[in-house]
Amino acid sequence: MLNISNLSATIENKKILNDLNLSIKAGEIHAIMGPNGSGKSTLANVLSGKKGYEISGNIKYQDKDLFKLDIEERAHQGLFLAFQYPLEIPGVNTSNFLKASLNAIRKSNGKKEFDALEFLKIVKKKAKELKIDEKILNRQLNVGFSGGEKKKNEILQMSLFEPKMVILDETDSGLDIDALKIVANGVNTLRDKDRSFLIITHYQRLLEYIKPDFVHVLMQGKIAKTGCSELALELEKAGYEKI
Amino acid sequence: MIEELKNTFKSFNEKFSKKNTIAKIRTDNFEKFVQLGFPSKNLEDWKFSDFNRIIFNKFKNININLDQQNKFKFNKYIKEFEHNKIVFLNGFYNEHSFEHENEEKIIFDNLKKGPAYKEHGDNSLNFLNNAFFTDGLLLYVKKGYQCKKPLVIYNVFNTKNNNNFFNQKIIINVEENSKLDILVYSINLNSVPIFINTSNFFLVEKKGLLKLFRINELSNKDLNYNFTQANVMDNSIFENFILSCSSAFFKNEIKCTLQENYSSGFVNGAILAHENLHHELKVNIKHIGQNTKSYQKINSVLSKNSKAIFQGKIYVDSNAQKTNGYQLSKAIILDHNSEFDSKPELEIYADDVKCSHGSTSGSLDEDAIFYLMSRGLNRFDSKNLLIKGFLADAIETITNEEIKKYFLNKLEKKIHEFR
Repeated sequence: MLNISNLSATIENKKILNDLNLSIKAGEIHAIMGPNGSGKSTLANVLSGKKGYEISGNIKYQDKDLFKLDIEERAHQGLFLAFQYPLEIPGVNTSNFLKASLNAIRKSNGKKEFDALEFLKIVKKKAKELKIDEKILNRQLNVGFSGGEKKKNEILQMSLFEPKMVILDETDSGLDIDALKIVANGVNTLRDKDRSFLIITHYQRLLEYIKPDFVHVLMQGKIAKTGCSELALELEKAGYEKI
Repeated sequence: MIEELKNTFKSFNEKFSKKNTIAKIRTDNFEKFVQLGFPSKNLEDWKFSDFNRIIFNKFKNININLDQQNKFKFNKYIKEFEHNKIVFLNGFYNEHSFEHENEEKIIFDNLKKGPAYKEHGDNSLNFLNNAFFTDGLLLYVKKGYQCKKPLVIYNVFNTKNNNNFFNQKIIINVEENSKLDILVYSINLNSVPIFINTSNFFLVEKKGLLKLFRINELSNKDLNYNFTQANVMDNSIFENFILSCSSAFFKNEIKCTLQENYSSGFVNGAILAHENLHHELKVNIKHIGQNTKSYQKINSVLSKNSKAIFQGKIYVDSNAQKTNGYQLSKAIILDHNSEFDSKPELEIYADDVKCSHGSTSGSLDEDAIFYLMSRGLNRFDSKNLLIKGFLADAIETITNEEIKKYFLNKLEKKIHEFR
């Protein structure tokens, strides 16, 4: 699904990612943990195509060169990033935005676009399944949303777009236990042999609800250690310094 | 131009003013105008809009031709919502219908008979309006009557070369406990450039409610100066929204006086200035009564050599304790050759007041574009969505749902045309 080799990323003369290698197969869930400043969010940004980084190395996504795809093309081909800090967009109705996005993705895949009624039916069903209050659909996109509501909105989008490769960038940060369960439930429902996840997190807590196949420790821009889900527990006890 | 205007005025006044007294008042106004001339940037109120230069650049001559009659039928009425209407064709009253209202509760007259208004203040374009105005609207909503549907005032222009200067007045009195929503809709059907100079006066009496909305569909060669004075009395509300998106030059000057206790004034607007447009919104809110409230939210988007200006002042009289005043202007500038100027002012003489103001300008937020693109929208659509959302955020302040929806649709169309 995703093959990262020798990836380095520099911003403002600061090397954030340093010769990183990571391979994710279809159906796998990988967790990346790491201290502040280790490059976790940069990795998420580079994967989704954010500009401003000087990049070297290779990323193959579904056997294609990821760097040849523009930001929206990555989304069309099933790459989804749940943002650490989803942006507030005043004046843009959440439901209209979701419909425009979903239809843009469908259109690029040669599928029929949903009309307003069809869309509403689908999005309401998804919201209900995820136990997300459908009232957020009529509000301006993320404007005045609580931290939890913003993250739930990301999970709703993930569930709606049915991506192939999902990156969750600290989606668990700042969530109470109920919201955390909603996020985990969203991921577990989508878990599928054809779909992969990269979960970036600070804490082991989320991994109690989502069982990863691999846990990686990211330090100074590269993978310092890889293990199974027990590694997360060790890190929780001992911290990153021992690595 | 002024010399030619003198001749124009002479023949206009002879023909139009039926009484000597009226002719005299109009002459006084015209002389005042001649003394002052068109406003230039030397005046503080016009420091960002050098109207004298603008009109000389755009027009060789401005002319009123009373012989040119309105032999055309306008029928492009707004279909989106039911409304009462008054139609002016090339500046003259044409027809009206208050079909949704109890007509006994509305007193309506046009100003074709040509009353006169004595010169007052120091605004030369108001003097010019007093000297030249040909028609307008005088309307009273009687005590205790709440109009059921909005009133749309259609200002339709379809004119020939030697008739390009229009002066109108709208004078409305919303009496005690009564309510009226108005949309002023000006449209130029022809390509002949016109200059429209309007003066409007509103009185909202005790517990009254007046909502005033404005949209222009003028050409990118037209000039429009629009002056509004609203006096808001005991416990009454004045709400104003302008969608400023057409005509080469469009200046809206709004003076809202919160005269008595517990009165409120909401003056909001959205400016979409694209391709050499020059739009200004100048708001002056005077808090005179106690416990009065004012709110201003102005969002502007500029591109392709356009200029937009927001000048907003909140004045709080020494008597106006417990005033609550709020003002926020935000602008997005899409390219390097557009310009946004902002002059927010607070002038406060009372001590127990809450006033805030803010002004920001910048480009589109790249992080927001990235967020939208990461959801599958292309860069162009992402930018459009942000622009639309930014302006819609101001339109959302409109409390008449039908008109809000109408404005949101207009905005969508405008953005589609421009981009």
